[in-house]
Amino acid sequence: MAVELTENQQLAAINADYEQRYGFHDAENYLYKAPKGLNREIVEKISEFKSEPQWMREFRLKALDSFLARPQPTWGSPLLAEIDYDDIHYFVRASERAERSWDDVPDDVKKTFDRLGIPEAERKFLSGVGAQYESEVVYHQVREDLEQQGVIFKDMDTGLREHEDLVREYFATIIPPNDNKLAALNSSVWSGGSFVYVPPGVHVEMPLQAYFRINTESMGQFERTLIIADEGSYVHYVEGCTAPTYSSNSLHSAVVELIAKPGARIRYTTVQNWSTNVFNLVTKRAVAYEDATVEWVDCNLGSRLTMKYPSVYLLGERAHGEILSIAFAGKGQHQDAGGKIIHAAPNTTSNIFAKSISKDGGRGSYRGLLEIAKGAHGARSKVVCDALLLDEHSRSDTYPTIRIGEDDVNVGHEATVSKVGDDQLFYLMSHGIPEDEASKLIVNGFIEPITKELPMEYAVEMNRLIELQMEGSIG
Amino acid sequence: MPQVIDVCPLNELAPGEMRLVEWENVEIGVFNCGGSLYAIEDRCSHDDGPLAEGEFDQEHCTVECPRHGSVFDLKTGKPMTLPAYVPVDTFPVIIEDETIKLEVE
Repeated sequence: MAVELTENQQLAAINADYEQRYGFHDAENYLYKAPKGLNREIVEKISEFKSEPQWMREFRLKALDSFLARPQPTWGSPLLAEIDYDDIHYFVRASERAERSWDDVPDDVKKTFDRLGIPEAERKFLSGVGAQYESEVVYHQVREDLEQQGVIFKDMDTGLREHEDLVREYFATIIPPNDNKLAALNSSVWSGGSFVYVPPGVHVEMPLQAYFRINTESMGQFERTLIIADEGSYVHYVEGCTAPTYSSNSLHSAVVELIAKPGARIRYTTVQNWSTNVFNLVTKRAVAYEDATVEWVDCNLGSRLTMKYPSVYLLGERAHGEILSIAFAGKGQHQDAGGKIIHAAPNTTSNIFAKSISKDGGRGSYRGLLEIAKGAHGARSKVVCDALLLDEHSRSDTYPTIRIGEDDVNVGHEATVSKVGDDQLFYLMSHGIPEDEASKLIVNGFIEPITKELPMEYAVEMNRLIELQMEGSIG
Repeated sequence: MPQVIDVCPLNELAPGEMRLVEWENVEIGVFNCGGSLYAIEDRCSHDDGPLAEGEFDQEHCTVECPRHGSVFDLKTGKPMTLPAYVPVDTFPVIIEDETIKLEVE
């Protein structure tokens, strides 16, 4: 007889570590692997492989020039200096095309996603799944009833082939290639990612999920995602990412553009759990028109360095933006995360809730921008950033910027830094709770306002990941 | 009260070319888009950096900010891509006596 386990029992029952669950790697059996380094020839090769239209090839080459001309950013983190752009494979092809049935995905790759539990999750609680392995998407499927309603959920390469006009109208309008050095890099070598279009009034009730997996050592993954929610529609997109643990560095540099038309709502959830040799430098930006809502739920656990500040431009009256961000920085990690909200229209509202936890010498930074443009009267915003330090060696920084160009607005900003104190631990331990359990309880309580916003399955996963990160943190 | 300033002789700004002029500490870029002339303030509304010397696309009549890539419509001054979201000032262009002139205020 099956016994229903409580959420806590499920959590307690899961006790694997990253190495076992995610840190494995497959033998390399690829159709094509570009040599290390980036030049015009590689960019042309990628475009040729994908049989792209001329405008996209020109877009890539122009972006390459911009990437090469721009200096490496000097702000953010000193770890950026460790990136050697000449020591990266910019394109690795594992499969001929994105399959619509798991049975058709090459065996080695399918096994990986089986181990990560993706096909099972698809059956249980998703509207559609995209699975990207190295540079390209190997599996893509969306529920038939949604397809019949006109919902498009494709990998970006297929999106460009089958919906070129739609892609061309919106692609790179939110994040132009020359926005910053990493956006230029992505624009020149982008491959994979998702293209989503939700027609007016259609509500996609269950999430669409994309899973990104890097397998090769010294690999660069540069997916590109574009989501357009037409008037009055709703979609929730979830992405997860893992990689094997190698001694040399890999680079993940995505570009994600969201467009919420009047009355639409987009929620974009990320559970980033890259191995600690991955540099995760991502540009994510959204626009919300009249009465639209965009929510970023951004959970950063893994990677060597993450620099990511999802933003929402509130361009229409009464638009709403929400950013919930958790960053967990362990040994050798720097999580430089946060968010940006730009109020560019009257009566717009926003919230930024950011929480960071640092332990074992890890560094968590909050970097954010709140801007209220002239004319955005009646705007209301609240920014709360809290940091929790678990030991003496860890570090937390806060870099908030607030620019207000209008008088009739309401803006609140709160920031706290706290340390797990001996008295808190003593209180819990005096109630018979062991020290490591007590510490986990304090951390879980700290992040609970954000995990409660995740779908149940991801909240469980998030708590489990935090537990893993916490193991061995005491004593 | 609008004021009219000289830019240059008409034959000195060929299609595809841009000319910078200064008026009371405001830099203005004057563009020849295939024979039609447009003028915008040389200041990206995103971070106040110079704009007019960015990539000029004559076919679409746009200029791209060299700093962060926002593309502006030269006819309206409106940004067509982020990160800029506020239009830049535009100025009426007049041709008088084979000379390009701007109406400024």
